[in-house]
Amino acid sequence: MATLITSECINCGACEPECPNEAISAGADVYEIDQALCTECVGFHAKEACQSVCPVECCVPDPTRPEDEATLLARAVKLHPDRSFPPLAELPAELSRFRG
Amino acid sequence: MTATTALTAKDFKSDLKPIWCPGCGDFGVLQSLYRALASIGRPPHEIAFVSGIGCSSRIPGYTTAYGFNSVHGRALPIAQGIKMARPELLVLVAGGDGDGFSIGGGHVPHAIRRNPDLTYIVMDNQIYGLTKGQLSPTSPCGLKTVTSGYGSLEQPVNPLLYTLSYGAGFVAQATPADMAGMTAVIEEAIRYPGFAFVNVQSPCVTYGQEEQQVKAHRAHMKSLASLGHDSKDRMRAFELAAQYGQELYTGVFYRNPEPPPTYGELIRARQTELATPLARERILDMFVQH
Repeated sequence: MATLITSECINCGACEPECPNEAISAGADVYEIDQALCTECVGFHAKEACQSVCPVECCVPDPTRPEDEATLLARAVKLHPDRSFPPLAELPAELSRFRG
Repeated sequence: MTATTALTAKDFKSDLKPIWCPGCGDFGVLQSLYRALASIGRPPHEIAFVSGIGCSSRIPGYTTAYGFNSVHGRALPIAQGIKMARPELLVLVAGGDGDGFSIGGGHVPHAIRRNPDLTYIVMDNQIYGLTKGQLSPTSPCGLKTVTSGYGSLEQPVNPLLYTLSYGAGFVAQATPADMAGMTAVIEEAIRYPGFAFVNVQSPCVTYGQEEQQVKAHRAHMKSLASLGHDSKDRMRAFELAAQYGQELYTGVFYRNPEPPPTYGELIRARQTELATPLARERILDMFVQH
């Protein structure tokens, strides 16, 4: 599941600079997440960075697009070729919301 | 007056990007206002938006309506003048708790007793945020700020009781923690024919208290509708409004079921009355007799 910004968004922009994948931008109505760039912060944080700073907590997993941890980590690896990530089996809790 | 249903929230969004702190509650007010205005359906050029000074008073610039970022505390007098001169305009007024209840506190009762058809939105963050965190008129007693190092010794102004007691026909409260609720309240306030007041608990993310942030609002806010409150019951509204600072009630405290004539309507009726030759003669008689 890529993360989804719901219509509760107040357009404050707190999330935009927090995203490790630069997936967040201002949309026509509220902020939007580019699903092709979202890794639900797998490989970066224990919890989605956008949801952590969101004052209204409206950055939630998209129930219509379920994705597993392996897919999300593979996406992080592909998006950041210069960065090293631990293999899936050794991914610590502070780098994946699936292990909290 | 032109009514159109084709307007969307985007039509009210200006090219100016808000410079409020990320996470500020005022973003929520702006977003709700865009949606409420789209629902009202008046085009931006038929709207005048007046504010005072402060973080929240930047809001007219972020809309496509005609805006006037005016003098500190003087948004209401200027808005009343605009409404008198151009009664066909939809006039909105906004500002912070300092602008409305300290610097401009004296203007609020007089605006209310005239009952102009205005919607006054106060973004109440209980602090002077723009000037880096001094005690404001709605700061709770005991609050430590840069101007109250040992804690405030003063009781806060209660914006809900303040406006209710002077006779405002519409008094409501909202929070960005409930965007749908805030949009509904702002829309209802704009539709009310007379002076409408909306107090938005809009937390200051930089200088505000931890327990007053939007996340905390979500945990303890209570909608007046869920309590079964009847917004026609003014005395019950007083009791609920008196709990400002202890309880976070959202929704409409009071809506006058029989809105009295607005100041503009009374003025126009008087002008019509005096325009008849008979009335002019009566005035002349008054001078002659004295």
